[in-house]
Amino acid sequence: MSDQAVLLLRKQLKELSRNPIEGFSAGLIDDSNVFEWEIMIMGPPDTMYEGGFFRANMVFPKDYPNNPPSVRFVSEMWHPNVYNDGKVCISILHSPGDDPLGYEQANERWSPVQTVETIMLSIISMLSSPNDESPANIDAAKQFREDLPGFRKKVSQCVRKSQEM
Amino acid sequence: MSQGAGTQDTDDSDPDEGDADYGNAILSGVEAHVVKREEYRCLDAEQVLERQREAVRGVTQVLQVTQDDATQLLRAFKWNVNRVNDEWFGDEEGIREKVGLESSSSAPDEASGMVDDGAEVTCSVCYDEFPASKHTHVGCGHNFCATCWSGYLENAVSDGPSVLDLRCPQEGCKRRVPEPMAKRYLKGESAERLDVFKWRSWVDDNPRVKWCTGAGCEVAVLCHGDRGEGPVDVHCGCGASFCWSCQEDAHRPVDCETVKKWLVKNSAESENMNWILANTKPCPACKRPIEKNLGCMHMVCSQCKFEFCWMCCGKWSEHGERTGGYYACNKYSQSREKEGASEEEKRRAAAKQSLERYTHYYERWAAHGASQTKAAKDLAEMREAKILRLGDLQNTPVSQLKFVLEAMEQIAECRRVLKWTYGYGYYWMEEDGLRKKFFEFIQGDAESTLELLTEAVEKDLEEFFTEEKSLADFADFRGRLTGLTTTVKKYFTTMVTELEEGLPGVGSEVVRAVSLEATPAAEEPPKLRRSARLA
Repeated sequence: MSDQAVLLLRKQLKELSRNPIEGFSAGLIDDSNVFEWEIMIMGPPDTMYEGGFFRANMVFPKDYPNNPPSVRFVSEMWHPNVYNDGKVCISILHSPGDDPLGYEQANERWSPVQTVETIMLSIISMLSSPNDESPANIDAAKQFREDLPGFRKKVSQCVRKSQEM
Repeated sequence: MSQGAGTQDTDDSDPDEGDADYGNAILSGVEAHVVKREEYRCLDAEQVLERQREAVRGVTQVLQVTQDDATQLLRAFKWNVNRVNDEWFGDEEGIREKVGLESSSSAPDEASGMVDDGAEVTCSVCYDEFPASKHTHVGCGHNFCATCWSGYLENAVSDGPSVLDLRCPQEGCKRRVPEPMAKRYLKGESAERLDVFKWRSWVDDNPRVKWCTGAGCEVAVLCHGDRGEGPVDVHCGCGASFCWSCQEDAHRPVDCETVKKWLVKNSAESENMNWILANTKPCPACKRPIEKNLGCMHMVCSQCKFEFCWMCCGKWSEHGERTGGYYACNKYSQSREKEGASEEEKRRAAAKQSLERYTHYYERWAAHGASQTKAAKDLAEMREAKILRLGDLQNTPVSQLKFVLEAMEQIAECRRVLKWTYGYGYYWMEEDGLRKKFFEFIQGDAESTLELLTEAVEKDLEEFFTEEKSLADFADFRGRLTGLTTTVKKYFTTMVTELEEGLPGVGSEVVRAVSLEATPAAEEPPKLRRSARLA
C-alpha cells in the first residue's frame, strides 16, 4: 500500500511544480522522504491574513490516500480552526470513520479523491471564512465572535511575524 | 446451545411459539432459576443468521430489490420489516436516496459521466489510466482502478462496521458500495470481517436484541418486550446473568433505576467502604484473623472452634431455627440514638446514623455478592471435574447427579436475589413500621432457608467425597437435597414476585398475625408459611 502512496505523492509533487497553483507553493522538507511536505501559504487577498507568508508542514500516512494527511502551521497562527500547536482542524482532514457523533456529513470528510491541491484550497478558504461553530482554538473563536477589532489585531501580528521569517 | 432441535424459530409475531424451549439456555437443561424466563430467547450465531435471512427474504420478495439492498434497508429501519414496507411505499425515491441505492429510473442523471465498458478512463485517485467496466464504479459512473478500490475498501473494513454504509469515494457522491462489489475487492480476512459485521448488524442495529454480556460470548438475546422498561433477568448458557434492559448484573426484584442509584452510591462511598471490603474479620472469641472461604454465613474458627455468624459476629447458637434462636442478622435497628442531645450532637448522630444505615445494607449486599461469585465458581468446578469423581466414588452415573448441579445453581441464583433485596431494602424500606418488619422477616426467613441448602451442599456433600458411605446414605442425601432445592426455589420465586409488586396486602391484620407468629418453633422445617397466609 505504501508503494501506491509514494507513487501518488511523487506524481502530485511533480504536477504541482510543473503547474503551480496560485496561493501556495509546496516542496519536500527532506528530498528523501516523500511523506513530509513543506507548504508556504499566501494570506488570501481581501482578508485579515492578506500579505502573510505562512509556513506549514503536511505529513502523510503510509496508507495515503485512504487516510488523510495532517497539516500543522509552523508560523504563528491565530484562527478559530487552528489549534494552539498549529494543527489545522477542518472536516476534509478527518478520516471517514472519525466522527461517530455525526457532526459532519460523510461527504465533507476525507475521501481518497482529495489531493494536496484540494486540501490547500480548503485551507485557503478556511482563512477567508473562519468557522466558529466547531472551533479548535476556543479563545480565538470567542474573540472572533465578540471582539473583532482585538481579533484583527492579533491576526495582523501573526501576518507581520510571518513576513520576518 | 441446548435449544430444541428443529424449533420453528423464525416467527417473531407468534407469542405462543415453542413454549418448551423458551430461554432454555442452560447447557445442562436445568431449570433452577427463580424468575420467569419466558420473556426472552437466546439465539446462537446460526439462529441469528437464520432470522436475518428470513427478514431479508421477506423484504426482497415484497419490494423486488436485491438481497443486499434489502439488508441495507432493514439496517436503516432497525430490522423492522413493517417499517421498511411502510416507508418504501410512502416515498420510494426518497428512501433510495437516503440509503444510497440506485435510483429506480434506470437512466441515472449522472449519465453524463457514464462511459462505455472498455473505454480508457483516468482513476480520480491515482490518475492511472485503465479500461472502465461495470466493476470500476458503483452505478454512478465514478470510475476507480482496482488498486484504489481495494485500498479504499481495506481501509474501510479496518474502520469497523461503518464499512456497511460505505459510499462511492467521489466527493459528494452518495451511492452506496454494494456488498458484491466490496467482496470483489476484499480478500481473505477482510472479506470474512465484512461477513461478521453483516451478521452482527442484525443485533447491533436491532433494538429488540442485545448481545450477552458474558466475556467472549456470542449469544444474542431477543426480548419479547411487552414489559416496557422493567427489568428482565437473562441467564445465558455461558453462565452470565444480566438484566436485558440496563445491561447490569441481573437484579430482580429491584428495578433498573434503583440499581443504578445503588451502584452510583456504592462507587461514591467506596472510600468509606474499603474497610468492609477487606476480606478478613477477627474471630470474635480468639481474635485471630479469619478469611471467609465458603458461601455459608455459619463460621467455625479453625483454631478455637468458636461458631459464629459472619454477618454480626454473634454466636451461631443464637442463630437459625434448629436451636430455637432467632435469625436476626438482617435487621437494622434505628434505636440507638436517644433524646437529650444538643443540636450539634444530633446532627452528628444523624450523619453517623445515615452512614451506619448505608453500611448495614452495603455490607450485606457485598457479602451476598461475594457468596454469589463463590457459588458460581463452585458450580463451575463441580460441573467440570468434581461431578465425575463423585460419580466414581458413589458408583452413580453422572446423568443421575444432576440434582447436585441443580442445588448449586439454585444457591448461586438465590445469593443474587438476596444481594439485591438489600438494595431494595435501602431504598424502599426507609420508614420503620409493619412493612419494613415484614420485609425483614421474609428476607431473614429466605436467608435461613438458603443457609440450610448451602450447608447441605458445602458440608454434607463434602462427606461423600471423603468417607465411604452406603448407597442408602447417598439416596437419603439425594432426597433431602432435592427437597431442599424445591423448597428454596418456591420460596424465592414467591418472594421476588411479591417484592416486585411492592408487598401487596401488607399492613392488614393478616400480616400482623404473621409477624407475631414469626418466632420460629424449634425443629420446625422451613416451609412456605408466608405465601400460604398471604394467598
